[in-house]
Amino acid sequence: MIPGIAVLAEKFRVPICIALVLGVWQIVFVLGVVNEKYFPSIPTIAVAFGQMLTDGSVIAAWATTFLRALIGLIGAALLGVALAIVSDLSPILSRGIRYVSDVLQPIPPAAFVPMAVFMLGLGSKLYAFVIILVTVWPPYLNGVAALAGVGPVQLNTGRMFGLTNWGLLWRVKLPAALPEIFTGIRYAATISLIAVIVSEMLAGRDGIGFMIFKKAFAMRTPEVFGLMFLVAINGVLLNGLVNLLRRGLTGWHMRMMERSE
Amino acid sequence: MTGILTASDVGKSYGSGDTRMAIIDGLNLSIAKGEFVSLVGPSGCGKTTLLMCLSGLLSPNLGKVGFKGQVVTAPPIGLSVVFQDYSRSLLPWKTNLDNVLFGMRRVTGMDAAQKKARALEILEAVGLPGFAGHYPWQVSGGMQQRVAIARGIASQSELLLLDEPLAAVDAQTRADMQDLLLDLAKRFDQTCVLVTHDVEEAVYMADRVLVLGPRPTRVVREIVVDLPKPRDQISTREAPAFLHARHEVMELIRSMRQGKALS
Ligand SMILES: Nc1ncnc2c1ncn2[C@@H]1O[C@H](COP(=O)(O)OP(=O)(O)O)[C@@H](O)[C@H]1O
Ligand SMILES: [Mg+2]
Repeated sequence: MIPGIAVLAEKFRVPICIALVLGVWQIVFVLGVVNEKYFPSIPTIAVAFGQMLTDGSVIAAWATTFLRALIGLIGAALLGVALAIVSDLSPILSRGIRYVSDVLQPIPPAAFVPMAVFMLGLGSKLYAFVIILVTVWPPYLNGVAALAGVGPVQLNTGRMFGLTNWGLLWRVKLPAALPEIFTGIRYAATISLIAVIVSEMLAGRDGIGFMIFKKAFAMRTPEVFGLMFLVAINGVLLNGLVNLLRRGLTGWHMRMMERSE
Repeated sequence: MTGILTASDVGKSYGSGDTRMAIIDGLNLSIAKGEFVSLVGPSGCGKTTLLMCLSGLLSPNLGKVGFKGQVVTAPPIGLSVVFQDYSRSLLPWKTNLDNVLFGMRRVTGMDAAQKKARALEILEAVGLPGFAGHYPWQVSGGMQQRVAIARGIASQSELLLLDEPLAAVDAQTRADMQDLLLDLAKRFDQTCVLVTHDVEEAVYMADRVLVLGPRPTRVVREIVVDLPKPRDQISTREAPAFLHARHEVMELIRSMRQGKALS
């Protein structure tokens, strides 16, 4: 009897969690802890969300925000890995890049936006700049650590079969480092989405971030919550894409880890 | 310089200044083509370092290593090492077959299909038919060792440098692997240099045993093993020549230990 319930709970864990969150939300609403104006009921939000989905401008904003986050993530991942490779090849450049990263990394995305508006205007350059500047660090840092951590026996194996510099990097070091690099890219996916929303809020003319800001000032609370739900969906989609790529490129590692558990 | 592999006055040290540690000093050796030579010596004396120098993976500070008459400056084609840490030397993102093919990347005169056929043939020869599509981490340590050996042979190797390949296996597997190695050496025309700390194994496998001294190491004695081939796990180990050679090596190693204890 009990194991049966455990199996069911495991199988339906996602719907159960969602039901729990919605249930707690609704209880808070019914108890009237927060003013209804700022904390609408689940049905109210659901209706507002349903109406938004029929609104073309919302769908367009959703797609815009998703594309920005995706393109920013791709750019940041490529740049981060490139910086890690350069660091691995040249100790001098490595130290230089590390200083820059130490200075820039703690700066939150919001702090970049005002400066970037003056430098780059309100267009796509702004987004690229802000997103990449805050998203590049996890792939870079993980990449540096992973490349440095490739074992001497693996390197000697590559060299024994005639690989040098680039060949060794491409055929031995990068494949060995890829699983750890992907840990950084997954983290970067979340940061990329945050950076897009913040940039859109502060300097945007479109996108979900901009809409949330607009609706919030108009006190359209149910719609704000609906938009937040769309942001969450974007996060899930982005993570899904990264995981798909990760499975394709480092599936061996995932299976190896599953085995050793 | 005669012999397929030669070392003349090789010296190697790690570190510099106060932390400098001499590992090899004035080492000479010459291995003839087709020979099976065992290297024995006290642990930590520099056997692995020596193999790295002989293979071109490390460059000696002094002296020269020659392979087929050429001075070795980088790992040459025709020479391969089976590393002491063999399980880490297999690339975990490649299947066993692809690991063996990786060893064949410098092989010329074969197209992809021929290389694959050759790789499968060698995997079968080391006793791993049916495991080509597995990943190294899906098979046992003993099987990983066989993949590493197969990869070495497949690289169109003429000279195999084996670094304590059987240190981690149980007694029965050990005997089987010894005979397999001897068999592979003959079948694939491999000259072999085997590092081992097991004196009986050194004598059983070899045409010649080179005994290395304590660090900084050099060859302190050469013992020719005058025993017929193929060797036999029972009769070879009972032959007077085997017992003589074993006696000589063991006595030498004991005297080195005592010398170290006294000094
Ligand atoms: N890369 C290295 N740097 C400094 N010392 C090393 C290095 N590799 C090995 N050593 C030292 O050199 C000595 C010989 O090592 P090794 O060649 O591995 O000996 P063996 O294989 O005979 O056990 C040991 O004392 C070891 O600690
Ligand atoms: Mg060793």
